Amino acid sequence: MSWIPTFLQSSMLFALPLIALPILIHLINQHRHRTMHWGAMMFLLQAKRMTKGMAKLKHFLILLMRMLAIAGLIFAIARPLASGWLALTAGGAPDTTVIILDRSASMESQDLQTGESKRSTAVRKLTELLTSVGRTTKLVLVENTRNKAEEILSPDVLPDLPQTEGSATSSDLPSMMQTALDYINANETGRTDVWVCSDLRENDWDASGGRWEGLRSGFSEKDGVRFYLLTYPEVATGNVSVTVANVHRRQIGNEAELVMDLKLRRESKSNDPVNIPLQFVINGARSELTVEMTDKEYERLGHTIPIDAQVRTGHGRVELSNDTNPQDNVYHFVFAEPPVHKTVVVSDDKDASRLLQLAAGTPAVSTIDFKADVLPTSRIDEIPWNETAMLLWHAPIPDELTATQLQNFVQDGRTVIFFPPATANSNSIFGASWGTWEQSDSKNPITIASWNNQSDLLSNTQSGGALPVGELQTFKYCSLEGEDFSRLAQLDGGVPLLARATTNSGGAYFFSTLPQASHSTLSSNAIVFYIMLQRGLAAGAGSLGKARQLEAGSAAIGDLSNWQPADEATDVILSNRPYQQGTWRTGAADEERLLALNRPIDEDTAGVISDEKLKQLLGALDYTKISDDVSDSSSLVNEIWRMFLIIMIMALIIEAVLCLPERRLVAEKEAA
Amino acid sequence: MQRDFLDPKVLSRLAALPLDARIPMLGSVSGRHRSPIRGSSLEFAEYRKYSPGDDTRRLDWRAWGRSDKFFIKEFEADTNLRMALIVDTSGSMGYGPGGAQNPEVSKLDYARSLAGTLAYLASRQGDAVGLYCAGEKFTKEIPPKRSAAHLKFVMDELSNAKAAGETGLAKSLHEAAEKVSQRALVIIISDLFLQPEDLKSCFQHLRYRKHDVAVFHLLEQSEIDFDFDRPIRFVDLEGGTSLLADPSLVAKQYRKAVEMYTEELRVVVRDAAVDYHRVSMEENYGEVLARFMLGRAR
Repeated sequence: MSWIPTFLQSSMLFALPLIALPILIHLINQHRHRTMHWGAMMFLLQAKRMTKGMAKLKHFLILLMRMLAIAGLIFAIARPLASGWLALTAGGAPDTTVIILDRSASMESQDLQTGESKRSTAVRKLTELLTSVGRTTKLVLVENTRNKAEEILSPDVLPDLPQTEGSATSSDLPSMMQTALDYINANETGRTDVWVCSDLRENDWDASGGRWEGLRSGFSEKDGVRFYLLTYPEVATGNVSVTVANVHRRQIGNEAELVMDLKLRRESKSNDPVNIPLQFVINGARSELTVEMTDKEYERLGHTIPIDAQVRTGHGRVELSNDTNPQDNVYHFVFAEPPVHKTVVVSDDKDASRLLQLAAGTPAVSTIDFKADVLPTSRIDEIPWNETAMLLWHAPIPDELTATQLQNFVQDGRTVIFFPPATANSNSIFGASWGTWEQSDSKNPITIASWNNQSDLLSNTQSGGALPVGELQTFKYCSLEGEDFSRLAQLDGGVPLLARATTNSGGAYFFSTLPQASHSTLSSNAIVFYIMLQRGLAAGAGSLGKARQLEAGSAAIGDLSNWQPADEATDVILSNRPYQQGTWRTGAADEERLLALNRPIDEDTAGVISDEKLKQLLGALDYTKISDDVSDSSSLVNEIWRMFLIIMIMALIIEAVLCLPERRLVAEKEAA
Repeated sequence: MQRDFLDPKVLSRLAALPLDARIPMLGSVSGRHRSPIRGSSLEFAEYRKYSPGDDTRRLDWRAWGRSDKFFIKEFEADTNLRMALIVDTSGSMGYGPGGAQNPEVSKLDYARSLAGTLAYLASRQGDAVGLYCAGEKFTKEIPPKRSAAHLKFVMDELSNAKAAGETGLAKSLHEAAEKVSQRALVIIISDLFLQPEDLKSCFQHLRYRKHDVAVFHLLEQSEIDFDFDRPIRFVDLEGGTSLLADPSLVAKQYRKAVEMYTEELRVVVRDAAVDYHRVSMEENYGEVLARFMLGRAR
């Protein structure tokens, strides 16, 4: 960390040579001496011999104080800033400043006294910094909800932008870093400072993912890129979070009740018992429950709340009293009759279609009907588009009409997964098309190089455990052509194994191999394959059912512009709707559909990555870590011209004291 | 006798004061000063027992009548004194309140006034006056004599004296101690820019020769205060060497050096029983001489 101060008026530093003025005047004074004939040379010679040590030191100090006074004045006028870690130090502001802002739910942990969250503190401090010293720099914001590089006209507007507001999402830091790298590569940004504002949560940073190596390599090729990690790693003690799961309606005789699994978690160093009051709001009716927590976690499975027997659908939430993180004090839920999880497999290959049908049709939840049908390509017209949650398309990419139907299917929020046909055609859909089949030596199968375990079909389980994707082996794969997709998993050599096309809603995936043993180990290592399909099916079925429960920021949410808040706790501007917690409704009363958005569970449980791990992730990149705290009101940048003014005044006072004539001499003169 | 370094007013005022020696003098003629040998003045000195051979005219018959013993009555002898004026004419004596280039009154001028007035007063009361001008060596040596013409000669030489050259006062004083006959009043007028240790031996030598030694130590006030504000190249009046010094840097040490020198000199003159007078040039020389003469009056 450099402690070289920054100067707002750095041009004033050109006046620094004026510091030598006292020496110059001293030399001129010496040069312009007068000559005097003197008799008492014996005293003078003796005095010269004695003039060593203190007297010379005093004279030197006087000169020094004069120089210090001038230096103090120049530095004060140059308006120095106390900000040792500033990127904007040597050589002034960088050409570009990229802010990577983690808006995840955990960043909403706040200081109860000031009400400032980690996110708002980071934004405020960066705004102050950039307003003070970085006005000439090009400002680019990358935040986790949109994950796009957006140019900001002025740092003043940062705190007021919807893109810097709090959200209930989680972050994908590697992906945001990749966006920043892409922007830097595409725009030749010159000297660039990348500010990463994050609370260093493990789930956000994906320390175990395979993307960091590429990032390190990409950034290390760029000269003049420096990283500043404005971090808030502190975990608030005493914070309690609440989640509910498996919310469903149960009919017992003439009465009905809502059943749910309740889970509380608290950050605490001790396990002292504590009573936590919970508020349940169901369709506007409020009830209260106090639970005693004797451990860091509290779980209550099958908690029931009686509801009106006539009520078939509804929405609600569980609330905690206010604590350090308001984002994890509420959990929204909706309930309705579950839809049938119907899958249609379009394939002419009996082996492949059998395996696909088996994986998609095997029920994952006992209370829901799962159904999987196989249709050959000749019977595409028979696809029940309105009843199907997921299509598994193991056939050549269709022509224009069917392609449009598929796009509408996805647009409605359903899921389609394309598998490579035996013979590919030249058609493309969702910006991608199949290429040629490649085969590896059976003794040297192709392994998985990396996969996205943060979100989507191959993400970690709710308990945080990773899917055994790395154990998969591929013997044959079909190349995928196109650019407009993101790679969720890729094989050695960078070939995409699972890719997701960019769509506004729903999910369009391309899987580059088949489940048969001749192609891959998907059938023998069936967990990955099964979970992948079930997740796609659940996402697709979610749009079919009347009540959907999704994570905020999920791609499956789609367009919420026609949705209305279902309760008074949901009040968000349109552009931020997919990223906030709340319940939404749309449609007429009999066709009403409900949607509950909540933060990802990982946001409550993830630990903080260590400095060691951070070093590993960033490697040899030029980075500076600034550990900040929400309760720390000090700015990243402080003008310290007063200090230099005080130094100047002190120097002048000391100089005056040193120049004071001796008391004895004054007394003698007065007496004379 | 009109001399510009003599002030008639001062002369007339001081004429009323006696110029006495502190110790008995050995003069050549009768005068107003005590002599170490008994003489025939009116002032009784002591009785002493008669010894055969003594002049019977000096027997005190009254004492014989009272004690039936013979006593010789002895009287003080009054004599004149020989005054040797040693004036320092080294280059440093050219310094005065206006500096050395164009002084209003240089130390030598001041010394001229002191020496001339003393010579006049001594001569007036019948004492012999001599003048020794001491530069690197004696530039002029006028042994004490008591004629009016001699006084004129002394005054002329005083007028002609010029401050130049290095100081050789120590050597000159030793020389004077030998040259001037015993029991004279030796008056030294100088700025005494010598090491006190050197002066000590000079004074001891003079005292050994039973001289009554008086010193007028002339110092200009700026030589004591060293109150200058800008760097100055000091050129030695006695050697031409120069030294660039910033007074603000060396003033304190300079004053300390003067103080140490003064203290050492005080000890030296006290030990050698020298009639020491430190003279500031701001002081009227008449006052200085009045104080000097009153201090010696019997």
